[in-house]
Parts: sequence; structure tokens; C-alpha cells
Amino acid sequence: MIIALVGNQNSGKTTLFNALTGTNQKVGNWPGVTIERKEGFIIGTNIKIVDLPGIYSLSPYSAEEEISRQFVMDEKPDLIINIVDATSLERSLYLTTQLLELDSDVIIALNMSDALERSGISIDLEKLSEKFDTSIVSISAKKNKGIDDLVQIIKKKKYKKNTQRQIFDAKIEKFIKEIVQTLNIPHKRFSAIKMIEKDRDYLLLLSDEQNIKINELEKVFDMDGEQLIADQRYQYISRCKEACVTQVHKGETITDKLDRIFLHKYFAIPIFIIVMGLVYFLSVGLMGGLTVEFVEALFDGSTTINIFNNEVAFEIKGLGPWVAEMLEGLGASAWSISLVVDGMIAGFGAVSSFLPQLVILFLCLALLETTGYMSRITFFLDKIFRRFGLSGKSLIPFIVGSGCSVPGILATRTIEDEDERKMTIMLTPFVPCSAKLPIIAIFASYFFTHLAWIVTLSLYLLAIIVIFVSALFLKRFFYKSANSTYISELPPYHIPSGKYVLRDVFDKTWAFVKNAGTIIILCSVGVWFLASFTWGFKYIDGVTLHIDQSILASIGNGLAWLFYPMLGGNWSWGATVSAIQGLIAKEQVVSSLEVIAGLEGSGKTLFESGLFSFFNNWNAYAFMIFNLFSAPCIAAIAAMKKELGSAKTMLKAILFQTGIAWLLASIVGVIGWIIV
Amino acid sequence: MNKRIRKRRRERNCQTRGGRLQPGCEGHLSDLGRGQKAIVLDFHNDNPALRRRLLDMGITKGVVIEIKKVAPLGDPVDILLRGYELCIRKKDMQSIDIRVIE
Repeated sequence: MIIALVGNQNSGKTTLFNALTGTNQKVGNWPGVTIERKEGFIIGTNIKIVDLPGIYSLSPYSAEEEISRQFVMDEKPDLIINIVDATSLERSLYLTTQLLELDSDVIIALNMSDALERSGISIDLEKLSEKFDTSIVSISAKKNKGIDDLVQIIKKKKYKKNTQRQIFDAKIEKFIKEIVQTLNIPHKRFSAIKMIEKDRDYLLLLSDEQNIKINELEKVFDMDGEQLIADQRYQYISRCKEACVTQVHKGETITDKLDRIFLHKYFAIPIFIIVMGLVYFLSVGLMGGLTVEFVEALFDGSTTINIFNNEVAFEIKGLGPWVAEMLEGLGASAWSISLVVDGMIAGFGAVSSFLPQLVILFLCLALLETTGYMSRITFFLDKIFRRFGLSGKSLIPFIVGSGCSVPGILATRTIEDEDERKMTIMLTPFVPCSAKLPIIAIFASYFFTHLAWIVTLSLYLLAIIVIFVSALFLKRFFYKSANSTYISELPPYHIPSGKYVLRDVFDKTWAFVKNAGTIIILCSVGVWFLASFTWGFKYIDGVTLHIDQSILASIGNGLAWLFYPMLGGNWSWGATVSAIQGLIAKEQVVSSLEVIAGLEGSGKTLFESGLFSFFNNWNAYAFMIFNLFSAPCIAAIAAMKKELGSAKTMLKAILFQTGIAWLLASIVGVIGWIIV
Repeated sequence: MNKRIRKRRRERNCQTRGGRLQPGCEGHLSDLGRGQKAIVLDFHNDNPALRRRLLDMGITKGVVIEIKKVAPLGDPVDILLRGYELCIRKKDMQSIDIRVIE
């Protein structure tokens, strides 16, 4: 048995899916969290359940809505669980009227029944069930109420069969019956109604005679077919609502009160800037300042560490030196100790020192997503974004993208306009993602010390400028769409569910650790190998042979001319190969620099090493710019290709990104070259 | 269309007070200010997909719409209809003809 979960956006489908299947799919408080169909089984059964993106009707409007329409129309699930958001009953039931025209059976799951009581509305379930001639179960997916009842009804098949209840005016119903008799396709009633609407996809089925009859109907009701059907549906729903719903009082809700502040004419934008500033202050500033050197010390060992520019005594041997000593004691060879310490531990450690601040960043993003504030941002910035050929909805991919570009790129599916969507896909990688943060942090904190936060902020501002200028450029030359619209909803504010927030933070953190523990270690070992051996496979011991004679150096030397201008006239194979490794994963840039510096062995820290001592404020800034804006990592490139639907467009986008990155970085580098 | 509405407005000798359309006046949904209510008379739209979407969202003839919240920069607007709220741009509200109720 296959069941489809269908309902409006943000009506709680995924929360119900998680409750039914015992899984942990991502939920949020904005329309369009689910962008792909997801499958699972009801706990303890072999009943398959499919979670679908939210839709408002069976006439899809955006890419992710088409997925849902296709599934219920073409794959004909045995049962549809139609989640109806009790707090916006009329609009939700509009979709219900359409679902009841299909061949599948339908159960209505009336969700958020607890929110209903609070707002003083009560619904007569029996009467409503009668009106639609289908089974209704009252649930609260979030509080896990009524789920057992729902499961029992499904298991015992105690739900009503779909009788395709007649809801239209008698004249229309008579005509529907006539058309149905001539049809020989699935979903007869639904198709007949689509024909009356003169839907493009059903025009071919329409005979001349039927066409004339529709024109007559349109005249009688003084509306065209499309309007007539929509109007009739809503009229029926209004009548039902009158009969089944009583409303006690309806004062100003908490959401309305909060919106008075968060959407205030003058305060909204300053509040937004403070909120976003706080996110990065808490993660990068506070947590970063507190923990980076501490975690580094755990790996490298130290006697003092620097917390907020204060020297603090902290004696620790560190994992690296400890392992080195141990291996030495076991009689391991010099190169094998170097492999473990300079390759694996240095590579993993370089990335791990940023983990605490990323946890805070992930936490802040999860809070933005689940409280409902993110939808407000899209609402009040829409006017600005529109000028640049984007929509307010582009902001969701950008904010999600500041965690990771991949889910950011996928989140563009809620954008209705194809051109706006493509532009947003191309621009999302410009947002500094969490993996780029280590690059910013390591350069900013060393070269700009107590001004590091201003430098970090300036890079985020630069990212915004680059996004807007690129958007104008793309709009002017490639995407000249004029059909842009913004139709959305402001979800009510929620106190975030601790369980889901923690789960979300844990998932993202774990993904980062897993990446560091696999890909980064593997690449670091690769870098170690290429930097430790010559083309003749002689081990570079630092005495007779030098790192400049390594395989890695000769590869880097082949491409170092590209980086010559941005490094302010410095020829550096080390920086070159490290930047290129950003294609594998952006955090690998930092790992690679650390591994190379460690092997070179002349200085204690990265920038004291002979290979990287040429870095100054200017070319450090230029190097950060290049790594921030050039082609994203391979995972994001794959996501771009998938969502853009063509490898050619993806390639163009990557060339565009890398071109801009190179140009900007080179300009800054050359200015520094001239000045310094 | 614009001309027609303007003519209608003249015929009814509608008053605007403080830039606001008074009850009984006809105009576009985009003419309304925060807190005003109006009934939808008709709509005209060149974009079939958008028209379909607006119908699906319940903007049909005779429905009552209230302007609930306005974005800080004046656009888009959050409207209340059929017991739920919807955000929509002013440009798209221009294609909806209304008569002011209050």
C-alpha cells in the first residue's frame, strides 16, 4: 500500500511524516522546506508513505510543486492523507476539493488543532466529514496527538471510500457527468473539470460541441471557465465553513503583535542588521575568539594560548607531538611519523579548530529557520531584491547557503520564475559558506588581529555587493524575464522545538566532522605525499632535498602565474595548489596550507614559514577574496548542475564565478603591490 | 483598464482623504492603505500562470480583502482573505479591481 502526504506549504506534512515513520527529516517554519519527495514506512508496518512538497492546487506553479502533482496524478497512490491546516481552513480545503476528484481515497488530517483552540475557533468534525463525504482525523503533528488514531484507521482500512462528492452548481455537475461519459482516461471527474476550465493540457480532449456548451455556461455565470470553477469551489467551502465552524473571538494574535515590531516601518531593517550581525558575532567573534587557539593547542601542543588577544597559560602536549613521540618510541621511520603527524593530524586539526564556532553558526541558522523570522526577511527585502532581478525568496537560499551552498542551491526550488531561480542558483555560492569560514578566520585573525571582525564583516558586505552586481549583469545580458512575482505567506512565529533544532545542528556538525575525518584527511595525506617526495620518489628529508623540489611544488609552479597578480607579485606554488584544492572542499585550503607549512619546517606557525612569509595585509585579503568567490566545491558544483539542468550552463556559471573572483582578487593584490 | 477605473471613480465623485479611498469608491487593490477592507469586483491579468495562482489562493469575485501588514519599504503587502493571510506585490495588486467597504 502506498500513501501520499499532500497539503499546503508549511502545513506540517514533514512533521507528520516524521511522527508516522519515526525518521528525522528536516522541518522548518517557512513555506517550501520540503523540495523533494521522501519515502518511509509507517512504524511497524510495510505501508509506504511518501512526503511531498507543499502545493496549493493541482495546477503547479513552481518546480517543486510539479513533483507533487505528478506523483498524485501519475502514480495514483492508494490513499492520500490530505493535511489541512486548521488555521487557514478555507484555502486548505480548496486543495481538498481537487484531491477528492481524483481516483484515490482521501483522509483529511486536520492539523494544528491545538493552535485552533487558542485562537477561539471550533470545528464540528462530524459535519465537515459529512459535507466532504470523507474521513477526518484531528491531529497535532508537532505534539504527537491523534497520530495513533490516524495509524489505526489506515491499518484497519476504516476510512471512507472516495465518492467524488458533487460540490458544483447543478448545471455544471450535469455537464461534468456528460463529459465524464465520453472520457477514457484516469481521473475522469478531475479531467472533465479541467476541460471546463479550458486548461491548456486538456484542450485537445475538448470537442467543438462541448466548447460551445462551456461558452454558454460562462455566459450564464458571467465568468470564464477558470474563474467559474475556482469560484464554485470556494463558494462550497464557504458554505461548509458557515455550517461547521464557530468562531468565538479573534483579537490580535501574538504573531501580529510581534510583526508590529519586526515589520515596523523604521525599525525592521535595523533589527534585521542587528540580528544578522549577532549571528556572526556570536559564532565567529565570540565563540571563535574563545576556542580556535584552544582547539589548535589540543592538536599541536602549547604553553600559552591567546583568548580575545590575552595570553593565557595553557600547558598541553598536544595530539601531534604526543603521537610523534609514541611512534618514535616504537621505532617508526621518519617518513611514517611525518605521514601521521604532518599529514593526517595537521590536516584534520586545521579544520577542526573551527568546529565550535560552526556549531554556533548552525544553531543560529536553525533558529532563524524555525522561528518564522526568515520569512519576514524575504518579505521586507523583496522590494530591494526585485530591483536586481531577484525576488525576496532568493534570500532563503542565501541564508541557508551561509551554512552550506548545497542545501542553499536546492532551496531555490521554491522560486517560481525560472530566470530568477537560475540566477539565484548561480549567485548562492558567492555567500561565504561555513567551510569558507576557516579561510577567512585564519587570515583575518593573523593579519588584522583585533580588527579581524571588521575584515570578516567587510567580506560579507563584499559578497552582498558581488551578488547584486552579478545579478544586474546576468539580468541585463542573459535573463530578461518580466514575469517575476512574489506570492508567499508569513508563517506564525513559533517557539522552536528544541528537539528539531538540536537534531538539525547535530546533523550539520556531524556532516562537517565526517568530511574532515574522511575527505580532508585523505586529501591532506595526498598533499603530504606530493610535498614529501620528488618525481624520482625520493623522500624529502629537509636536509639534502628541499620541499621546493617536491612533486607538489612543480605542479604548483605550472599554475602559479595565475595567482601572481593577486599575491602582489609573489610567485607561490604553495598558495596556488592550496587554492585549487578548494574545489574538493573549501576547508581543504586551510588544511593544505598547514600541511605544506608544517613540512617546510622553518617556522612555528603557518605565516612564519618561509613559503608563506610573503603574505601581507593586501595579498592576504586578495587571497581570501579569490577563495570566497571562485568556483565552489565539487558538491556544490554537482548541485548546480542538477538544478540548472545542464552541464553547459553550470560550466558557464563556474567560469563566471571564477572570473569575477580572479578579477577582484587581482585588483586588490595589484593595488597592494603598488602601495607596499 | 486604468482609464475605465479612473472614469468610474470620477462618476461616483469619489473622495480621497489623506490619500485614502473612501468607502464606496472603486479602484485597484493596490490603492488601499493599511487596515482598509474592500470587495473584489474583477481582475485582469496578462500573465495566465499568475492569474491561475491568484484564483487558487481564493482571490475570486466577491471575496473581501483586508490590508493587514505592509512591508517596511511599502511593498509587498500582506492581505487577509478567507481567514488566512497572503503576501503579494503591489504590481500584482494593480490587476485586481475592488470597491472599498471600510
